[in-house]
Amino acid sequence: MKSFSSRRAQAIVVAIAAGSLALTGCSENKGTNTGKDSKKDQKEASVQSKAVTYADAAGSTGPAKDVAGAQSGGTITVYQEAGLSHLDPGQTYVSDAGQVANLLFRRLTQFQEDDKGNVSVAGDLATDSGKMSDGGKTWTFTLKDGIKDAKGNVITSADVRHTVERQFAKFIFDGPPYLQTWLAGDKYAKDYRKLLPGGGFDGKHLPKSVLDTPDDKTVIFHFDQARPDLPQTLAMAGYAIVPTKDDTKEKYDKAPVATGPYKIQSYKNGKSLVLVKNTNWDPKTDSVRHQYVDGFNFQFGVTESTQTKRLIADQGDDKNAIQLTGGVEATQIQDVIKNPSVNARVTKGYQPYVMQLTFNLDRVKDLKVRQAITYAVNSKSLIAGEGGVYGGDVAPNYFAPTLPGYEAKYDPYGRLATPQGNIAKAKELLKSIPASEKKVVFAYANSENGQKRKVAIEDALTKVGFNVVSKEVDAASYYEQIGKLDNPYDMYISGWGQDWPSPGTVVTPVYDGSQVSDGSPNYSHVKDPKVDALIKKALSEQPTEAAKTWKEAQHYLMEKVLPAAPLWYTKQFQLSGSNVGGARYGSVSSLIDINHLFLKKS
Amino acid sequence: MLQFIIRRTVGALVTLFLISAATFFLFVAAPSDYASLACGKDCSPQRLEDIRQALGLNLPIVQQFWDFMTGIVMGRDFPTGHCSAPCLGQSFYSGDMVWGTIMDRFPTTLTLTLGGAVVFLVVGVGAGMVAAFRRGSMVDKVATGVSMVLSSFQIYFLGPIVLIIFVYSTGWMDNPQYVPITQNPWGWFTGMLLPTLVMATIFTAQYTRMARSSMIEQLAEEHVRTARAKGMSRKYVFFRYAWRGSMIPIVTVLGIDLSSMLGGAVVTEITFSLQGIGRLAVDGAVHKDLPLTMGVMLFGAFFILLFNILTDIAYAWIDPRVRLS
Repeated sequence: MKSFSSRRAQAIVVAIAAGSLALTGCSENKGTNTGKDSKKDQKEASVQSKAVTYADAAGSTGPAKDVAGAQSGGTITVYQEAGLSHLDPGQTYVSDAGQVANLLFRRLTQFQEDDKGNVSVAGDLATDSGKMSDGGKTWTFTLKDGIKDAKGNVITSADVRHTVERQFAKFIFDGPPYLQTWLAGDKYAKDYRKLLPGGGFDGKHLPKSVLDTPDDKTVIFHFDQARPDLPQTLAMAGYAIVPTKDDTKEKYDKAPVATGPYKIQSYKNGKSLVLVKNTNWDPKTDSVRHQYVDGFNFQFGVTESTQTKRLIADQGDDKNAIQLTGGVEATQIQDVIKNPSVNARVTKGYQPYVMQLTFNLDRVKDLKVRQAITYAVNSKSLIAGEGGVYGGDVAPNYFAPTLPGYEAKYDPYGRLATPQGNIAKAKELLKSIPASEKKVVFAYANSENGQKRKVAIEDALTKVGFNVVSKEVDAASYYEQIGKLDNPYDMYISGWGQDWPSPGTVVTPVYDGSQVSDGSPNYSHVKDPKVDALIKKALSEQPTEAAKTWKEAQHYLMEKVLPAAPLWYTKQFQLSGSNVGGARYGSVSSLIDINHLFLKKS
Repeated sequence: MLQFIIRRTVGALVTLFLISAATFFLFVAAPSDYASLACGKDCSPQRLEDIRQALGLNLPIVQQFWDFMTGIVMGRDFPTGHCSAPCLGQSFYSGDMVWGTIMDRFPTTLTLTLGGAVVFLVVGVGAGMVAAFRRGSMVDKVATGVSMVLSSFQIYFLGPIVLIIFVYSTGWMDNPQYVPITQNPWGWFTGMLLPTLVMATIFTAQYTRMARSSMIEQLAEEHVRTARAKGMSRKYVFFRYAWRGSMIPIVTVLGIDLSSMLGGAVVTEITFSLQGIGRLAVDGAVHKDLPLTMGVMLFGAFFILLFNILTDIAYAWIDPRVRLS
């Protein structure tokens, strides 16, 4: 959901790039609050990276705790630059569609965040976050009573089964693959669809040994190995319920049936989306969502620059407006910071992305070269191009502040002490390196942001004696190009973020040797038996044990393999209108918590 | 006349076909693969193949082109439903039928174009005519000076200033937006007023200068001087003889401007966050969405060819010496 390699994320990269060049001039952040803000962010990071707990039935029972001062009524305007690529839950994997899905659809489980930012997984359609048995290989969920879809049909275990089975259909190709892959097991590891080629539409179903629904209320998942993260996986928007009677296959992407507090009144892709109250949603069954406002009016095609101008001006309907996944345009951050009444309307926090300079290990084989580059890179100048302290912080390692297991002080290359680069150390490492290995090919996106990054990387590496050959790559297909196994580049900047708060959704896709293929996010092509073994071990362990294993994996990767130089953690900085109440930063979505909003005056 | 129209229509159809072929094969020849772009994270080879199949990209290129072209005439069936003729395919990115999307966005662009044309024809051509009629007077100097200044402005410069003044600072106007005229005529008028006026301002300046110089040229023509020498009033000669002749270059440029505006007023639409054909063209290019790009290209090309024919017909109407042959 939060990958910089996703199609939507690429659009975001381009959008950020478009706005952030001019920021360089004001990115020194000489304002008096910047240092304080950065420390506050770091303090908040300790909350964002807390381990997720699993709620019981009491913690999963609605209604949700009232938001202080909440009023009912009115319509919230939602601004977004690009249109949604999908509305079918099975095709939902990126943040914008995920935010909309939070209003429209319910899943077996859902993330729940308290006022202090503590996150737990609660039952959504299920009475609790699930009951594990057989060492984590079996999970049982019991459905709550009286849950209906927008048409008034009662949701049963058959609907859950259908939701899972349709994930195997060929027309579902853009959503998360976790559950299907896990259910398919080792036997169908190469192509999970072979477990149920018809996706349940041909009358054939998943065997009971994989998915069992013994009665209308019970759903049992069986895996060939422990899957302790399942409650978090099922909380993804991509696994929201598609009721059997409502499913129109490919057409469902345009007109899905709601199960959440809002339903679709009208939808014009890339232009507008109007949501109104779903009268069949019962707040007593939902421990997270609210239905304070009468509806949401999404307007697409509004650039981040325009969104920011409108929200700063705060005129007319813009008093009731929010940004969906976009943020304050980088050139206007200072306009927001310097105006206390506008700054008070900001929601901000760390995003899950770690931006890093990834080495192509098929080409940069000498560890000393990678270490020298890691010491030499200048995170400070790179962050300056992202909006300074409001756009990012120096990353000393591969785990983002949003990730359980985040180690703020684990810094084997001294990046926190020398964010501008340790030139002496880099030069020392390069002494024994032949000149031919000092020539490195750096790929960068031909966007404004990419240009700035190119300059920062070239400057830093040239200073220590590298001969940097920079190669421009089309911004729209940047991840496609660097994702090719036989790409002609030595290094490139890439970003990755967790799908749910577990290092398993970072280490596995990015560093698992079995994932090396064209298009894989293992952009460094790292294939290390020890890393693979640690990943396999951690994935089958309970969270406490797994945390230790993930930590070991990260330390080994950073110190012995070094597939990438960590550069910076990205931050979100969003603005809402003065009449919007309940605006807070959602730790899981890393965006404004859309289920928590109301209008102060309707 | 009929023969002329038939001949030009056939020529236009051939041109549209050639444009389609060129766009399609250039797009396909590009090194980027849309399926890879759409694949996102965890892009396994199997997943990539599924996307290709879902989008029909696994079919031979010639068949893809044939399906596209026959769809325009006969319609096509997609898993999401039937696409009636003229079917311009289904967007890779959004899954929407391209023709439906274009029809949804066209009223915004049409409003901008027609609204803008009314303003720049009435004000721009009018001011140019008056300036020519009173050549050398204060009116002429003001009209020439103002048009000179305004023609050096750009929409991306003037637009944000107008927004800051009328929307962000004072709140006198709401954010520009298109509301169907059938739904709310006042909302349609106020929602499109600023973008239309800003776009028209730039064109008005150009048309003022063009109309002025064209009319001055006409007033110096021999037949005009003869008419004056025969004792006809200046006013009569101006409207009876000079006006007609001065319209020829204006109609030529108007045809080009209207056709390109209907094909998408990109800068205006983006500056004012409007969802018109221009914005759609940009989306198609950014997302490497072949069906959408082709659809918008053909739609724009259709207007260029249509206005080409209309301009030729208008020549004959304005100046009977011109023969349509």
